[in-house]
Amino acid sequence: MLENYFPILLFLIIGLLVGVAPMCLGWGVGKVLGTNKPDAEKLLPYECGFDAFEDARMQFDVRYYLVAILFILFDLEVAFLVPWALVLKDIGSFGFFSMMIFLAILVVGFIYEWMKGALEWE
Amino acid sequence: MNIMTWSSLNAGVATPEIFLLCATCAILLIDVFLSDAKRHISYVLTLAALVATGCLLVAGYSLQPQLAFNGMFIADPLASLSKLGMVVGVILMLVYGRGYAAVRGLFRGELFTLTLCALLGMMVMASAVNFVVLYVGLELLSLSLYALVALQRTSSRSTEAAMKYFILGALASGLLLYGMSMVYGATQSLDVFVIAQKIAHDEANRLLTVFGIVFIVTGLGFKLGAVPFHMWAPDVYDGAPTLVSQLIGSAPKVAAFAFIMRILAQALEGFAFDWRSMLMVLAVLSLVIGNVTAIAQVNIKRMFAYSTISHMGFLLLGIMAATPGGYAAAFFYAMTYMLTAAAGFGLIMLLSREGFEADQIADFRGLNKRSPWFAAMMLIVMFSMAGIPVFIGFFAKLAIIQALVGLGLVWLAVIAVLMSVIGAFYYLRVVKVMYFEDPTDTAPIAAGADAKLVLSVNCLLLLVLGMAPDRLLTALTTALQFSLHPGL
Amino acid sequence: MTEVIFYVFAAILLFAGLRVVTAKNPVHAALYLVLSFFNGAALWMLMQAEFLAVSLIVVYVGAVMVLFLFVVMMLDINFEELRKGFWKYVPVAGTVAVVMAVEMALILSHRAAQIEGAGLVDHPAGYNNAKVLGQLIYTEYFLPFQLAAVLLLVGMIAAIALTLRKRKNTKYINPANQIQVKRNDRVKIVSMPAEERPSVEAPKADDGQA
Repeated sequence: MLENYFPILLFLIIGLLVGVAPMCLGWGVGKVLGTNKPDAEKLLPYECGFDAFEDARMQFDVRYYLVAILFILFDLEVAFLVPWALVLKDIGSFGFFSMMIFLAILVVGFIYEWMKGALEWE
Repeated sequence: MNIMTWSSLNAGVATPEIFLLCATCAILLIDVFLSDAKRHISYVLTLAALVATGCLLVAGYSLQPQLAFNGMFIADPLASLSKLGMVVGVILMLVYGRGYAAVRGLFRGELFTLTLCALLGMMVMASAVNFVVLYVGLELLSLSLYALVALQRTSSRSTEAAMKYFILGALASGLLLYGMSMVYGATQSLDVFVIAQKIAHDEANRLLTVFGIVFIVTGLGFKLGAVPFHMWAPDVYDGAPTLVSQLIGSAPKVAAFAFIMRILAQALEGFAFDWRSMLMVLAVLSLVIGNVTAIAQVNIKRMFAYSTISHMGFLLLGIMAATPGGYAAAFFYAMTYMLTAAAGFGLIMLLSREGFEADQIADFRGLNKRSPWFAAMMLIVMFSMAGIPVFIGFFAKLAIIQALVGLGLVWLAVIAVLMSVIGAFYYLRVVKVMYFEDPTDTAPIAAGADAKLVLSVNCLLLLVLGMAPDRLLTALTTALQFSLHPGL
Repeated sequence: MTEVIFYVFAAILLFAGLRVVTAKNPVHAALYLVLSFFNGAALWMLMQAEFLAVSLIVVYVGAVMVLFLFVVMMLDINFEELRKGFWKYVPVAGTVAVVMAVEMALILSHRAAQIEGAGLVDHPAGYNNAKVLGQLIYTEYFLPFQLAAVLLLVGMIAAIALTLRKRKNTKYINPANQIQVKRNDRVKIVSMPAEERPSVEAPKADDGQA
């Protein structure tokens, strides 16, 4: 089975080479040939001539978090659906309804979050 | 692969759990359609669901264990009785906490549904005989509890408590899971009975199993709050809304007992020699540090937290004995402690009102002058926790000590008694404050008649059960006899 | 060959794990965690657990880590300040870690620890990890499977209970209501009898002066 993934491994290796090798090369060549005389002014972040106003990272609203976590929950549900779809023929009606119960519980949650207004962005 | 059918599932055995799950879903859906003014409808429905679950448990009680869900779920007397205890614990929490929650904006649908989910998790923990199911049940309980602790969003202390609880709880779950995976690796099975059988036939890799047991015991220690894994307990008990502290301090202890029985006493019985010494260390440390630190507390919720730690020490001593008598004593201890702790936190909520938390020992000053009846009730709770004769707590401690002496572990029994005496000091201090000091807070008690009535019954039960502890102890002993060696 | 690949991925995994703990910038730490998940997935792949490897990437790298970055960015904490305690705890934490690692190594390398099944199982050709899992999860493991749904449900309730808040002062348009609007909701026609125009009187000259 693992042989089937050999192209992917090859892809990873070549990707790493193509991505990392020029980086290292540039860094090494620059080290040897370039001049590097940093001082405090040169290393300052530049923002239109002013001192930097704030951190480059921006704070997010907590609402993004709610959307993300609700996404994860249904993402996990989909992860459960994949093997189920593969073996649906083998596991018979029991397996089918087993998944239906699973989905029913999640649908209850879905109705709840919909009615609560958690899916609305205002 | 065997083809499954619905009848081979034998789902009828789990009727109480299935009913509880359906009721939870129904309450969740009904609640979103209710306005805040009609919130009491979900409250009544929740209580009704709990009472019905309790009735189903009583109706389905049988001494003969029954397996269901491919041998992953068992309904034996141990499970049924502890589930009954948990249902009672959760009902008490909702009754005592109604007024408390209402004035703090906690009287929301989520409070009820999360509590019911926590109960479902506890019930699964008590009945599971498969490591995967045991773990999922534990997570169901823990996740609901983390959210419940943080439910009061405006309080930064609650949020901090929830964060600590969550991080240490996640660490504990990780350790437990790691240990379980080791045992799985050593025995190639997740089934409690198969593991026990493999160990009995010496087919399990000894070193790997012991290695797993170390992690399992550490994880259990965290979850129980046993020293040296107790750091979260005082902050969580203190920071959480008191009704959630009550929930954490009462019913889950019974679930934890059943959980430990399944893992240590049933699956890993053959390695009792190894886990007994680990539990002994945890128990002695919990007894000493819990009781000594509790003396220094001025906050009664923190004091209860440290006292819980010491009570868990006693519980572990009973399990550590690893004899039918020890197990029965520990079961008795868990059940009676659940009732006592519920009453203790109930009294704190009784004295709290809008904008005021009666969480300092000083808030109990002169309670006798304000309300002689409830001062007497608090007296019963304190005496019971301290283990003063006639009250139920005394017999719980006595049963444990008897089990220890029966094994010849007199020195452990001596430590337990000494620590109880130290513990009595801080319990009696509360009594002294109530009876011999003048009240600083003279506001009338705001709690509703329902909470007052149930609380009185609960406290009197500690006394009544103390008068006749034999029947309960015999019932629990019989239940354990039929559960631990079912001969399936 | 497989062994070489294993060691390469395991080494990157260890390096990434170490950097998660030591990186100064929490965003970098989160990205190193992504790297370690990738390598974990690769290790699973080596064990022929394809489905688990893919779901690790889909669920953890794709979703959980995005959430993680959200959280890191949501916090308004001076991380430099937080990290000041780092070196203070290094001696104690390091000792504990070393002791644990040595203990594990001693126990697992002990002669008595003949760990059966520790070697990789060589699966026959045509082995499909997802299929094998599927055949078990929905039938034999019916109970934990349904309980997993309840766990997800608890996750939903908890997330909504803890983070959903209604903002009362926001103004927004609801397209559904806009479409449903009828003429009568907007325009109200009131029948009024025609009124006589009041005759305009000429103001008295002395009133204005009074």
